Amino acid sequence: MTIRIPQSAIRILIALWRLNVVEELQYRANLVASLLGTLFWIGTALLTLAVFFSHTTRLGGWDYWEVVVLLGVFNALTGLIEAVLRPGIGRLAGEVRSGGLDLVLAKPVDAQGFVSFRRLDIWRLSDVVLGLALAGYALHRLGRTPGLLQLGAFVVALASAGVVVYSIWVVLMSLAFWFVSVENLSVLFDAVYEGARYPVSAYPEALRFLFVYLIPIAWTTTIPASALTGRLGPEIGLAAAAVAAIVFALARLLWRTALKHYTGASG
Amino acid sequence: MIRQYAALLRNAWLVDLQYRASIVLWLLWGVTEPAVALGIWWAIAGDGQIAGYARADFARYFFALMLVNQLTIAWDSWYLDGWIREGELNFRLARPLHPAHEAVAENIAYKARTASVILVVWLLTSLVWPAVRLPFAPARWALTALAVLLAAAMRFFISFTTGLFAFWTTRASAIMELHAGVSLFLSGRLAPLALLPPAVAGVAAVLWFPYMLAFPVELLTGAAQGAAVARGFAGQLVWLGVWVAAYRFTWTRGLRRYGAVGG
Repeated sequence: MTIRIPQSAIRILIALWRLNVVEELQYRANLVASLLGTLFWIGTALLTLAVFFSHTTRLGGWDYWEVVVLLGVFNALTGLIEAVLRPGIGRLAGEVRSGGLDLVLAKPVDAQGFVSFRRLDIWRLSDVVLGLALAGYALHRLGRTPGLLQLGAFVVALASAGVVVYSIWVVLMSLAFWFVSVENLSVLFDAVYEGARYPVSAYPEALRFLFVYLIPIAWTTTIPASALTGRLGPEIGLAAAAVAAIVFALARLLWRTALKHYTGASG
Repeated sequence: MIRQYAALLRNAWLVDLQYRASIVLWLLWGVTEPAVALGIWWAIAGDGQIAGYARADFARYFFALMLVNQLTIAWDSWYLDGWIREGELNFRLARPLHPAHEAVAENIAYKARTASVILVVWLLTSLVWPAVRLPFAPARWALTALAVLLAAAMRFFISFTTGLFAFWTTRASAIMELHAGVSLFLSGRLAPLALLPPAVAGVAAVLWFPYMLAFPVELLTGAAQGAAVARGFAGQLVWLGVWVAAYRFTWTRGLRRYGAVGG
């Protein structure tokens, strides 16, 4: 298993994204709609927390603003999912069904890379900005100023979180090669990811094990938020990177196996 | 009419059978939100009580919520939005049968399948987990069935009416999502209404949201007693009437405005 990133791949990516941006710039009202949607979502999430915290002072050992930091991280990742993953690799299940994947496979590029990063809905990146701003504000309310090392660990953990989320999508979409009739596989992601909205320590033992080791969504929100608030030492960044590497390798392996299974539907 | 419904139901049932794997995923998606909420309340409650709710009460509440939500959920807003924008409403209007009947049949077929899955899972869970067991109360269950029927009818008309907004705007599904966001709090999906701040619970009490879910759920768990039951049914009937009227108004106005897209 080798991962080569030739220069041409980067040129193709830039060309694709530039095309996307030009296309999206025609629909500027979508930025407003996207912003309003995000603000509404953040509002409901904060209200939800307010309801929980009106009956308790801690959630899984975390206080209110710590959970808000986590919420900011969750929102930033949601932006990444909606801007790149859902419109890109999220369409795969339908394409396996219709045979549209043939057109992708015929291209002289890495199929996984192309399928994954072919689209960029720039307006949804506003979620990333708002999410990080929310996390920053919550950190300020906590009265904690992260040191350089801590900030570095957060950046590494957040990047790893992106890789883990991406790998989960690759695994789910690889299933489409076996379960061709299931067109809404992405719903499975939404169902699972609902669990990442709160710190894993709030869940019962069995679920905690599930989220840390089997479906590693704990590494997408709990860990980066912990790195930022200093709940975990900076060395967690290394662990997060290692987890991301392992999960990515496994996902890539499954993708390769799945692709061998594909016979095409349109031929 | 009965023959027509039999044909529609059969059709909807067979379509669902074709997509049974997809339906399992939708089902899974529908139960995660209450499951996560239960997990959080379970942790918060600890060994104590919150506003009269101990751990077992939360377990019963959210299991009942999963079932009632599945029985009353309505996707029609999304369908109608698509039908109107893509012009698929045209051939449905040409039929000698109101398009709403097709939607009702689809609702029944879908719910019969998915709700029975939840019911079976609930029964199996109660064998190993005493917290989710309900006391044996057939009279209460009969009343719940009636309340669920009214709630399902109301949610159907809400969904259908907001879907019809597509006659005027391209963002009808955004309106429905707004409604879903508000209902997270006001209909009791996040927490029993007794646990909400008094101001929020007060707003909920004068709107239709509690009658969509919270009332049938609390009827099933036994939290609603005596006068609250009568008040609940009265509220359901009033708001059902309001939404039926709203539907009629939007339907007639919308059709007059409708310039069909596509051939």
